[in-house]
Amino acid sequence: MSGSFGSLSFGILPWLIAAWLFAVGLYGIVSSRNYVHLIGCLAVCQSATYVLLLAIGLHRGAGPPIFYDHPPGTRAVDPVVQALVLTDIVVGAAVTALLLAIALQVQKRRGSVDPQALRPLRPTQ
Amino acid sequence: MSPRWRLLLLTLALLALAPGLWRVARAMPPFGSPTSLYGPAINQLAPAARHVSNMVAAVNFDFRGFDTLGEETMLLCAVTGAVVLLRGSRGEGGRDRAGRLPGRTVAPRADATVLVCRLSAALVLLFGVYVVLHGTVTPGGGFQGGVIAASSFLLLYLGEGYDVWRRLMRGPLLQLLEAGGALAFVVAAAVPLIRAHPALTNLLPLGQFRSLYSGGLVLVVNDAVGLSVTGSFGMLLLEFLEETRSSASDPVPDEEDT
Amino acid sequence: MTLPATLLPVAVLLPLGVALWLLAIAHWLPPRIADWTAVAVAAAVALLCAWLARAGLTGPVVQWFGDWTPASSGRPGVVLGISFVADPASAAVAAFAALLFAAALVFAWSRFDDTRSHFQVLMLLFLAAIVGFCLTADLFNLFVWFELMSIAAFALTAYPLGKSSLEGAFNFIITNALASFWMLAGVGLLYARTGTLDMATMGRAVAQLHHDPVLLGGFCLVSVALLTKAAILPLHLWLSDAHAVAPTPVSVVFSGVMVSLGLFGLAKLVAQVFLPSAELTALVHGLLCWLGVATALIAGLMTWAQRHLKRLLAFSTIAHMGVMLIGLSAATPAGFAALLLYLFGHGLVKSVLFMVAGILLALCASADELALYRRGRTRVPAGVAMIGAALLLAGLPIGLLHGADQLITASQPSTLVRVATVLATSLTGAAVLRAAARIFLGWSGAPGAEITAPTEREHEKSQASLWLMLAPCFVLLALALLPERMLAPFLGQAAAGLFAPLHPSALQLSPPALPHESALEQFTPLILAAVLVGAALARRRSTAPLARALVGIETGAFRVLQYVHSGLVADYVAWMVVGLAVFGIAVGESR
Repeated sequence: MSGSFGSLSFGILPWLIAAWLFAVGLYGIVSSRNYVHLIGCLAVCQSATYVLLLAIGLHRGAGPPIFYDHPPGTRAVDPVVQALVLTDIVVGAAVTALLLAIALQVQKRRGSVDPQALRPLRPTQ
Repeated sequence: MSPRWRLLLLTLALLALAPGLWRVARAMPPFGSPTSLYGPAINQLAPAARHVSNMVAAVNFDFRGFDTLGEETMLLCAVTGAVVLLRGSRGEGGRDRAGRLPGRTVAPRADATVLVCRLSAALVLLFGVYVVLHGTVTPGGGFQGGVIAASSFLLLYLGEGYDVWRRLMRGPLLQLLEAGGALAFVVAAAVPLIRAHPALTNLLPLGQFRSLYSGGLVLVVNDAVGLSVTGSFGMLLLEFLEETRSSASDPVPDEEDT
Repeated sequence: MTLPATLLPVAVLLPLGVALWLLAIAHWLPPRIADWTAVAVAAAVALLCAWLARAGLTGPVVQWFGDWTPASSGRPGVVLGISFVADPASAAVAAFAALLFAAALVFAWSRFDDTRSHFQVLMLLFLAAIVGFCLTADLFNLFVWFELMSIAAFALTAYPLGKSSLEGAFNFIITNALASFWMLAGVGLLYARTGTLDMATMGRAVAQLHHDPVLLGGFCLVSVALLTKAAILPLHLWLSDAHAVAPTPVSVVFSGVMVSLGLFGLAKLVAQVFLPSAELTALVHGLLCWLGVATALIAGLMTWAQRHLKRLLAFSTIAHMGVMLIGLSAATPAGFAALLLYLFGHGLVKSVLFMVAGILLALCASADELALYRRGRTRVPAGVAMIGAALLLAGLPIGLLHGADQLITASQPSTLVRVATVLATSLTGAAVLRAAARIFLGWSGAPGAEITAPTEREHEKSQASLWLMLAPCFVLLALALLPERMLAPFLGQAAAGLFAPLHPSALQLSPPALPHESALEQFTPLILAAVLVGAALARRRSTAPLARALVGIETGAFRVLQYVHSGLVADYVAWMVVGLAVFGIAVGESR
């Protein structure tokens, strides 16, 4: 098992890293001054879910869930979470493509991509 | 809110979340020895039941094939949305010239660049097709191979320049590839229903374990996804690169609001 | 397999397949074909799902894709595949969604001709995702359809390519993408703890868990994600932007069904997965009820202070989601029956109102209540539809929405709930009535807090004839006027079926009985709304010092509310994290 530090187990590190990544991404989104940078921060948030899912499926000492070089029955990691992560990646690609297309059009129409200056409907006064 | 207040709010909220997060992290199943029986069951069953050696492909295209159907249409939907957004008022026409920044000299492309790009475009396309076709056997599959194959189009752009690339890339054909591949997935899912089997039932011969033609329906669906993803990313590249062309004929519509 | 079970996936595969076919040959397709096809497919899906709902009353309608039934794993508790289950409630919601899509597509007739049927493709993909979301019995599959639904919605919001619609769509995408990451993380946690993604199996595993932080964390993440889609305070900020700027036919399906699906999905998860856990049940009863009350009140006030019609309707949707959440938090068959009825009643009324706003945008080139003053006087049918729907919204004691309102207050017998629902009903109804009176009747009065609300000058072009826009509007209005009694027997069984979709006969429930209310109680919201409208329309510019001080306080209070709804995506994200923190704290307290 993992090494330990006092009563703390290093086994909880992956979960903390996932949470840290998400928090960093959130900080980026909240403080961003550029749509493209903000879209990048969203991708950072998303990478937290990759870390979480892959860590959930890891079997220590097990190989990839592909039985080409190893015969079936060899210990392998959980293929289900890997499939889930593939879906997650596709979600990320899809959302990013849409967001970048919008960022381009906003730049053309408003001449600015500062999320702290752009708002959909303007107050009248 | 001013940026400072906003950050303060975020920090307070994150601090409030910290204890809960800590408890969840401590209670998670130990890292490296998960308790789920789902994945191990698939690792044990799929090679014999489907003659597939790539378990991720088995999950994606057989056990949880309906997830992948949604995932594939999700990509297609996003690309269609991006196409609509990017085309905007500029339409489909491909007769315009490449955009030029005023004052920047255009250096002629070196022969070596053209040669390397042509060669590597062919190789990358071939590699993409290889990764798609071997999806049931080795790492990779329709999604990964499709993206690799579509990236060969970018090498064409690099080597041949905008005008040639624009003549080679036909929007309607890419869209046919994109939607046709996904439609093949839907049809493959629906055909077993005609014989009163559940959707996506694998009724095709399963082939030899570890051979190219293994997995029956898994392979068919995998290849359909490969086609569709190639078309989707090709379409996406085409529309984004169209943004680089000369914008003189592409006026932004004036709106009334101020 | 029985015939209904065999045809079950067709409800998803048909719109999906037709959308892909339209996209494949879009370049060569003659005009009008896409319009006809899309309407026909939506209608067919509505009929199919209605038939499935009927079939679901007699026994479970289930299909395990790829024939991976639970038995095929040979291991107890291990489910390899994904299944669709058409319990009556889910199939009925899917049928309702398809009906609204058909109406919206007729309303949108020939509006988007210049874009090579991409509009119809996106709408059909949207519909397929909604049907899949309703019918699936697998948690991750639910996430996949949820996400497809979101992405189609994102693209449709930005479709007009105006400045506002682009920025509204941007806010919509960022907030909802974050929510979907939370949902995915929550699904991951639940999978890590229970080892399955099948909802029924997961529910059995949850019953074995006690005081498990991972389960609680998974519940928080998944609920916050679904509540973001359902626009519950403080996760609601994206909605008023997205619904206000989306093209009208899209706003119709957004407000009519997409938003309430977040609550329906959560109700389903609560009934099938979370209810066996006592701690989670306590959270649902407590926290969700409070959030519902807060949402209903705040959004009701915000509705009153709007002038842009579509934004006004968007806030009214948020307030009604709060009322629906109160019904959900009862977590009983009676509460869920109320939720279902509210979903139908609210969806119909709100669709009608959005359609009227769309007609005004097309004919009078504005959706601003003050700019439209007296300009609807010659548009009698649109005025009739708007005033009729506004009265229903304000609690006129006929029709589905009123029945649902009564059921909700009956399912949660507390004064606070009663007050919140009455206020939400009368505030939202009064706001719409006020707008209708100004536009169609030419009544006025000095504007109050609404004058400072955000608005925009815009125009939607439509080549369709006026009657093609009015027809779906009146059909939906007529459906909203159906007496609640007609649906009651079905609702009782359907709500019970949500709790045990695979054994519907185990829970035979009598139809939910309406509480007996005196005439005064029945008319309370309507009277309150009439008072509010009267006060607004009789209002004159204040000159006396005391009156000016009062107006100053009123404007100041509303200014604070408007300030929070700033339109800046960074603010929205910060408030979303606050929402998650509220859940985290509530869970910590409940231990």
